[in-house]
Amino acid sequence: MESPDKEKKILILATDSCAYPGADSVGQAHSSYPANTYILRVRAPVMFPEQFYLDCFKKGISGIIIMSCGEECPYEGAYKALATRIDAVYQLMKKQDLDIRRLRLTAICTVCNRAFLKEVNLMNDLVQEIGLPEMD
Amino acid sequence: MSDPKEKKNENSVNRSEKIGVYVCYCGGNISDHVDVEKVRDAAEKMPGVVVARTNSFMCSDLGQDLITQDLKDGLIDRVVVASCAPSLHESTFRGAITRANGNPYIYDHANIREHVSWIMHGEKATFKAEKLVGAAVGKAGLLEKLDPIQVNSRKHVTVIGGGIAGLKAALSAADFGLNVVLIEKTPFLGGNAAMLDKIAPFGEKASDLISQLAKSVLEHKNITVKTHCRLVGFDGYIGKFDLSVKTVFTDPSDHEQHPGHFVPFEGVETDTVVEEIIETGAVILATGFKSYRPDHGEYGFGKHKEVITLPDLIKQVGKVEGSSTLELDGRKIRSIAMIHCVGSRQIPGIHKEDENGYLNEYCSRTCCSSVLFMANKIREQFPDTNIYDFYRDIRTYGRGQEDLYDKASENRVVFFRFDATESPQVIPSSDSDYPLQVTVKDGLTFNEEIEVPVDLVVLATGMEAGDISDIVSMMKLPVGTDKFLQEVHPKLAPVEMAVSGVFLAGTCQAPMTIGEACNGAAAAAAKAASLLGKGLVELDPYVAEVDTALCDGTGACVDACLADGALAMVDGKALVTPALCLGCGACVAVCPSRAIDLKGWSLKQYEAMVDMIVAE
Repeated sequence: MESPDKEKKILILATDSCAYPGADSVGQAHSSYPANTYILRVRAPVMFPEQFYLDCFKKGISGIIIMSCGEECPYEGAYKALATRIDAVYQLMKKQDLDIRRLRLTAICTVCNRAFLKEVNLMNDLVQEIGLPEMD
Repeated sequence: MSDPKEKKNENSVNRSEKIGVYVCYCGGNISDHVDVEKVRDAAEKMPGVVVARTNSFMCSDLGQDLITQDLKDGLIDRVVVASCAPSLHESTFRGAITRANGNPYIYDHANIREHVSWIMHGEKATFKAEKLVGAAVGKAGLLEKLDPIQVNSRKHVTVIGGGIAGLKAALSAADFGLNVVLIEKTPFLGGNAAMLDKIAPFGEKASDLISQLAKSVLEHKNITVKTHCRLVGFDGYIGKFDLSVKTVFTDPSDHEQHPGHFVPFEGVETDTVVEEIIETGAVILATGFKSYRPDHGEYGFGKHKEVITLPDLIKQVGKVEGSSTLELDGRKIRSIAMIHCVGSRQIPGIHKEDENGYLNEYCSRTCCSSVLFMANKIREQFPDTNIYDFYRDIRTYGRGQEDLYDKASENRVVFFRFDATESPQVIPSSDSDYPLQVTVKDGLTFNEEIEVPVDLVVLATGMEAGDISDIVSMMKLPVGTDKFLQEVHPKLAPVEMAVSGVFLAGTCQAPMTIGEACNGAAAAAAKAASLLGKGLVELDPYVAEVDTALCDGTGACVDACLADGALAMVDGKALVTPALCLGCGACVAVCPSRAIDLKGWSLKQYEAMVDMIVAE
């Protein structure tokens, strides 16, 4: 096992109504995926300001996957606002020489097992390849 | 199972919060893969934690007692439980806290089963579990007492589907005092059960059962039945759903519709399509199943007219009256082969997939009893007709069903057992006296090759999920790998769906007997009644709140708010109207002074969670 201080951690912000039960569904199917993934249940990821993402990278999170409900978000207009914010985060990441692939916005439903596994594995491949973020 | 160690957690000195952490073994589901005691040891040293305990089943009375006792003793003022998915037991543990006179919102949950032990094992699983418990502890330290929001709900339930489960659900809900609308797409009530004659294992007439239920439903003052009616729209939330339904009194494909116009030799046409909104508080789905239709050539089906399905046989035999000789379509039936597991228990690599590459790998659970019931009926009513039963396994589970098997032996039904890899072959008979013969390698006689000439082959076809893709899509319902609607948990929440306020009844959920379907329907009605009976539903108080001392009055939160009227500027400060707030947090992200946050899901709490995840 990779020692805890070297683990390239992936933070998953999973929506309470779609992606979090989707992650439960993956577990119920006993489908394995990398251990360096930490799923936090959120009502709507639109609540996080740009600085939250930058702070996460600064603290040592290697990758963040926002698993939203996509266009099926129960909060009308939230997904559009979120997408706009993530664009703004990308601009800030570029300014700080952070690989923007470290942050990914996806839509995962309650039974999107394959999509969930694909996203997690892709992000894990990436963070294993590019390593921990380096920020001042 | 350990008690907390005596030594004091130095990380908790000088902290005001007193967090209790309770880690579940889940009877091995977690502890087989995660070192639960190690997780407990780690939790005990986390900031703010004053006690950490383990139990075989934290959801059991004994497990919950650990929490309630610590609260009553004043040992803790916040609770973290590390166990299964929060959708299963969050309410259980909040209930335990409430019983100890605590506030149910001083609680957070670490999912170390679905997100850890069911996907990995060993050291890395234990390490991840520790991190997730740490994140929950980080959040728990910032939790505050909250009061739930109460929303008026409608004492009304809508049942979709007028089969036996729908009828039973409607009647039960109405008897609980709810107003009920039952919608059924066909002109008839009874569903698939109406296709049956007598019901296994005890032989009641299906027509009697349905007639009795339907009469009670139609006469009940609390129930409105709408036939020819389909769901076309779904909106709202638990306690207040708006269902758009369309009632089509004639088949629109018959002719072009012109309400108000004279139709030659018919008369002036009236509106034949009525659309309306049903305002309801909960929905019970009772959309039923469809019977498996064998492929062309599967056991000779479609190639030989003498090969029929079990539902066909039930229908045909049900019409035969007053004769001791079985004749179908003018032919005397001297011998019948009955083949089990047709369209059920299909095995990849052995059975043919459908056009979408799908196999029915599940057992349909009702066919074995139904086959044996019919075999006994035929042997007793038409003693000159011999029955040959070809089975993989006999699964006559449940009360009274094994007796059917014993009785079939007494009735001299002849059994042959086949392996799935060597299914019986149905071919034209070499004996000119019979149209078909069934050949099989019989496992009961040490794989002896047997040829049985027969007049009729009956395929025991199983159940498949009904085609309700429109409803699934409209209501965003979870569907299992078997294509049936999926409950939240088969044991703990067997009739609840992930969509709050939507319940399951009958065979839309899984293959089951009529008795089981009625049990499920009654359970769904009881759930709906307990939910709506009080006339109000308690919702979690996760709404925005403003720290007026920090608010600079920029109005950015009002601009970002997604709910009309939920936020407004009053005297230069942001003001939240809780009843209108969606709790999405769109306002939180845009406040430059961090004066607004979401109760129970605050930005500060997420930052604390991340801190614990990255902590070394």
